[in-house]
Amino acid sequence: MEATVLDSWVLAEFSTPDALVTATRQMREKGFEGMDTYSPYPLHGGSEALGLPPSRVPFIALCGGLTGVATALAMQTWMNTIDYPLNIGGRPLLSLPAWVPITFELGVLFAAFGIFFGLLGLSRLPQPYHPVFESEEFRTASTHGYWLSVPQATGTDAAPVMDQLKALGATQVTLVTGEKE
Amino acid sequence: MSNQHLSPLREPLVTEPRSLGQLTEEICAPMERAPTWKWWVAFGIAVSVLGTGAGIVGYQVATGIGVWGLNKTIGWAFDITNFVFWVGIGHAGTLISAILFLFRQKWRTSINRAAEAMTLFAVMCAALFPLIHMGRPWLAFWVMPYPNDRGSLWVNFRSPLLWDVFAISTYFTVSAVFWYVGLIPDLATVRDRAKAGIRKAVFKVMSLGWTGSNRTWSRYETVYLLLAGLATPLVLSVHTIVSMDFATSVIPGWHTTIFPPYFVAGAVFSGFAMVLTLMIITRVVLGYEHLITLRHLENMTKIIIVTGGLVSLAYATEFFIAWYSGNPYERFAFMNRAFGPYAWAYWIMVTCNVVSPHLFWFKKIRTSPAAIFVLSLVINVGMWFERFVIIVTSLHRDFLPSSWAMYTPTMVEVGTFIGTFGLFFTLFLLFVRVLPIISIGEVKSVLGFAREGHAAQPHPPAKPVAEEPHPVAHRPASPVPLAIATRKDAPV
Repeated sequence: MEATVLDSWVLAEFSTPDALVTATRQMREKGFEGMDTYSPYPLHGGSEALGLPPSRVPFIALCGGLTGVATALAMQTWMNTIDYPLNIGGRPLLSLPAWVPITFELGVLFAAFGIFFGLLGLSRLPQPYHPVFESEEFRTASTHGYWLSVPQATGTDAAPVMDQLKALGATQVTLVTGEKE
Repeated sequence: MSNQHLSPLREPLVTEPRSLGQLTEEICAPMERAPTWKWWVAFGIAVSVLGTGAGIVGYQVATGIGVWGLNKTIGWAFDITNFVFWVGIGHAGTLISAILFLFRQKWRTSINRAAEAMTLFAVMCAALFPLIHMGRPWLAFWVMPYPNDRGSLWVNFRSPLLWDVFAISTYFTVSAVFWYVGLIPDLATVRDRAKAGIRKAVFKVMSLGWTGSNRTWSRYETVYLLLAGLATPLVLSVHTIVSMDFATSVIPGWHTTIFPPYFVAGAVFSGFAMVLTLMIITRVVLGYEHLITLRHLENMTKIIIVTGGLVSLAYATEFFIAWYSGNPYERFAFMNRAFGPYAWAYWIMVTCNVVSPHLFWFKKIRTSPAAIFVLSLVINVGMWFERFVIIVTSLHRDFLPSSWAMYTPTMVEVGTFIGTFGLFFTLFLLFVRVLPIISIGEVKSVLGFAREGHAAQPHPPAKPVAEEPHPVAHRPASPVPLAIATRKDAPV
């Protein structure tokens, strides 16, 4: 996510998810960038309206999984075959079939770590401060509100943006000012 | 998760019309109000049982595992039975979360959170048994491959017991990650509802600054799908590896290739029984009958019929192959199971696991929470006996008749087992108090009529308001969930 956090954001609440998606699409067609929508559950069509690219998490997960598999194979081979050759019942020192369960488990484990930390990293979480938290009304975004944020470029007037959002059906529009990242 | 159901062919998953605000209120209410006396009584009992169990474990660690009823012939008995029993229970949570998610079974949304929590707690209980069995639990780190000054003497990677260490710890970690990822949006909801104070501060940290941003949501949906895709083979692998503890040995009755699928089916079977036990109590105590509906219970009983059938088939196959193999030791082991000194345990197992699930063919039983509850307990008992039968009957008649022996658990072993129930219920009762036990975000996405502006209200209503019901929710042709939605006095 490459959106920069600007000085001020215009926040607009919409009464329905449809109104929010429509408004987002129209604002984007008007040339506004770096917008984001906020909803209590994943919004159908929200990503399309915002024009988001596909997620990079699957790639990170694949890398994690392959790292796990390579780590497990290397660890088992080195420990039981090279560093301290263990003769267990006359089995071959390099008994790859016996390495399979742990290789699988570590592959899954590292892929899961990749997914989890990939999510946190790409979403820049944990993020204890965010300008949208400045607005008390915005707290409804996690229960029943549908919000749109439009970053306001420095030095411009927020009023026209707010008017446009109202014209698109926003039930309330506020301006929040927060620190730059 | 983002699919919106408007098809008139589908029945509503939330049987009563609710707005998003109401739903949030309802799910958050139990954790925001003071605990009821019922909760305190249950918690008191659970903590006392846990305390007793902890005392007993302390005694056996201080004395040595000679206080168990094990002998030279039967070196594995109660503790491994309990380990497999708890691990098996721990499989339903991830199954509900991951496999049902991949199969797009939307009804899972209101039970997956609690089932996942149950998984974590059950795995904790399971992990205790090998730990205690070590006798010197403070040396448990020896199972990990770490550099040491014994030459670096590494662990033996060919041992199924070590595979178990990796399987169980991976399973626990991935389940915890899956659970936590699912919790983050709901933690943010609780944070935003909380007034200033400790609750707000704690949930602020735990929700990681979640804003509900679409960029995060879309990524989150990908993440959830990926984790589900990973957890599915993982859950199958874990019980496969547990079964290899037995199957890779040369003991008649253990040394069979059917064990991995047989154990996995058994795990799902027992896990769903435990989910049913817990959910039937929870939905009544917390008044969630319209969220955890009879349809949920009915669907789970159908899975129990299927997995019970698989388990029965495995019992029959095992017996058939023992005869068909022509191996006299194998034949003896199975005849001894069914007609030997532990026949009573075998027939308890058969009654509970093979016969009792078929009662669920009857619609009356499938839709009666009381009947389901009793049967779920019966199945739990049966599945415990399954593990006991597999472990003890296979060991107690050794190749050499001079070493034949019998096994009886001591009070210490029984007390330890009961103590883990104390741990399990203590954790579950705490969970019910401190976290939303139903996934708020996911249930909202299956309310199904959110996109018609139905649920959108600028402020949460103070009390349930009469709303224009959705045509789907009111369709008279789908009477079952509606007729049973008895709860009109939602304490919002």
